[in-house]
Amino acid sequence: MSGGYIAQQIVNGLVLGSMYALVAIGFSMIYGIIRLINFAHGDIVMIGAFVTLGLFQTLGIPFPVVALAVLTAGGIIGIMIERGTFRPIRGAPQVTGFIASLGISIMLQNLGVMFLTAQPRNFSFPDYLQRVIKIGAVTFRTIDAVIMISAFCLMALLMFLVHRTKLGMAMRATAENIDMARLMGININRTILSAFAMGSALAGIAGLMWGGKFGQIDPLLGFVPGLKSFVAAVIGGVGSIPGAILGGYILGLSEVLFVGLLPPVYSAFRDAFVFVTLILILLILPNGIFGKRIEDRP
Amino acid sequence: MRKGKRLFLAIVLSLALIAPAWGADTIKLGALYNLTGGMSSIDAPALNGAKLQAKLINDKGGLLGKKIEVMGIDTKTDQKAAATGAKKALSGKVIAGLGYGDTTFVMAAAPLFQEKGIPFVTSGATHPMLPKWVGNCMFMVPFGDDDQSFAIAEYTVNKLKAKNVVVWTDNSMDFTKALSKFYKERIQQLGGKIVLEDFFMMGDKDFSAQIARLKSANPKAEAVFISAIPNEAGLTVKQIREAGLALPIVSGDGFDTELVTTVPGAKLANDVYFSTHTYREDTRPEVVAFVQAYEKEYKRPPENAFAALGFDAVGLIADAIKRAGKTEGKALREALAATKGFKAVTGEITYSRPTGVPMKGVSIISVKAGKYKVEEVWFPKQ
Repeated sequence: MSGGYIAQQIVNGLVLGSMYALVAIGFSMIYGIIRLINFAHGDIVMIGAFVTLGLFQTLGIPFPVVALAVLTAGGIIGIMIERGTFRPIRGAPQVTGFIASLGISIMLQNLGVMFLTAQPRNFSFPDYLQRVIKIGAVTFRTIDAVIMISAFCLMALLMFLVHRTKLGMAMRATAENIDMARLMGININRTILSAFAMGSALAGIAGLMWGGKFGQIDPLLGFVPGLKSFVAAVIGGVGSIPGAILGGYILGLSEVLFVGLLPPVYSAFRDAFVFVTLILILLILPNGIFGKRIEDRP
Repeated sequence: MRKGKRLFLAIVLSLALIAPAWGADTIKLGALYNLTGGMSSIDAPALNGAKLQAKLINDKGGLLGKKIEVMGIDTKTDQKAAATGAKKALSGKVIAGLGYGDTTFVMAAAPLFQEKGIPFVTSGATHPMLPKWVGNCMFMVPFGDDDQSFAIAEYTVNKLKAKNVVVWTDNSMDFTKALSKFYKERIQQLGGKIVLEDFFMMGDKDFSAQIARLKSANPKAEAVFISAIPNEAGLTVKQIREAGLALPIVSGDGFDTELVTTVPGAKLANDVYFSTHTYREDTRPEVVAFVQAYEKEYKRPPENAFAALGFDAVGLIADAIKRAGKTEGKALREALAATKGFKAVTGEITYSRPTGVPMKGVSIISVKAGKYKVEEVWFPKQ
């Protein structure tokens, strides 16, 4: 096992981790603010992928414009889901929201199957994003670099928003204590809506990356990123944004390294190893890496 | 009054449920296929083929004075749904079942047909043990996995001149595991060497870790055999080529899907070889007639060999009904078992082997710059 081989596997893991991290952030933000495990989050990844396919491949709109459009589309879907489902049931027991999100997830998947058919579609990016770059023994494509860099920029932007702006302050306050925040004159509805919009926009853009990276999309693709990012969010500590980012990278890296470093007979069981990792981390740190015990809401 | 209304509704609804059983003037075939999910790109064309055959037969006046009705059931690439689908078909009074391009799903559905003594014809499942596992009501339209693996293994060593081979196996399916087993066996018999074996699961999207290992295989890999179903076929080709590896990629009929060229794109879909059912570029009259009829009906050429296999499955059953003169389970089963020289689109079918697997030709197809070409047709020796 050469150094080049390990370096290659680490790069592979970082690319995968960037995508998980982007999805996990939204998961964590939404949980942090309204204590909702949003299972429909993965399906926004699917919508992002199909919006990209429609705008870019079918209509031929230039790539940077598509990226902005996908961010917006993800945000709008998030807003629609919040307004349509979660706001009307706010204050209901946690499990109601959980089941409602599962319902939305199944609905989105089936709408996708109805209107887009379950046949996988190919998804190809222009050549300049597919070029192979070789540094030493490590090869990767431009799209991989774009994924890592843009994920990093988006995460930095989000951290700035959360820690340096008024809206971010409102979000943190709401996450800490929703009733107190309301008493302090924070517009709770607007704050929750913006958390949904931001989280879903990131999931949408992760859909664009997912399609570009793997080249094949179908209406049920949201399940895997949804589940994995949930795990990433739990590893990092649900509710913590840096935790979600770290969790995403830990998950991506461990998935690839399990396959890459263990004997090949175990390759097929990568998901089993992922969940073992999750259990081990939770045994040692029951609230995840950056998690704090947060107030339980009924 | 409300109670009365409900009772009335219940009666109407239950009548609606039995109503289809009244229309017994058709010959019903239960077609179980995964029209959605990972298997859809091979199962959906197969059902189209089956329906087309039924239509052609009906246009010529049907069978025994009755029309054939193909009852298509979507089992969603889910084994539980396959068993439920089989029960649904059986309760719909089908005279025979057909379906599936994969062994795992046949094993979920066919035993239920066997229990009732109703024949089940698989259009595309290729495990050579199927007739042994299920029983005497199980019939195969395609060749067995041993044949297709041997064909591509011989091609790998003799024509591609690759001796050091890497084998990737989808560890979640009976079909893919069997394919790899027979492939490895024949490669070693031919003096080749398996330098590395790697695994994945149906539904995996990221193969970067396996590709990195493939790259560093020692001695250097001269070809990689990927035992996969269509869902992973395009993905693996794309990702291997994108990682800058140019070695030949070989596989079995799981690669007989347009995804092999559409997902990687014409530039990357290069140097891919797979063994599959014979019909592409063939000039036998039944092949030409099938392709024309398919294009006329669906306004596109047949997607892959599974369309032809679905077509053949209904043809095979119709042929047996004609010879039996009736549709009753036992007589039909015996007529099917006695099939001899049935001119199917995918090659002649005779059930002469003790295994119950038909002896058929295997096409080796190459993909170069996104274009399919038949390289040769391989025939089993015995």
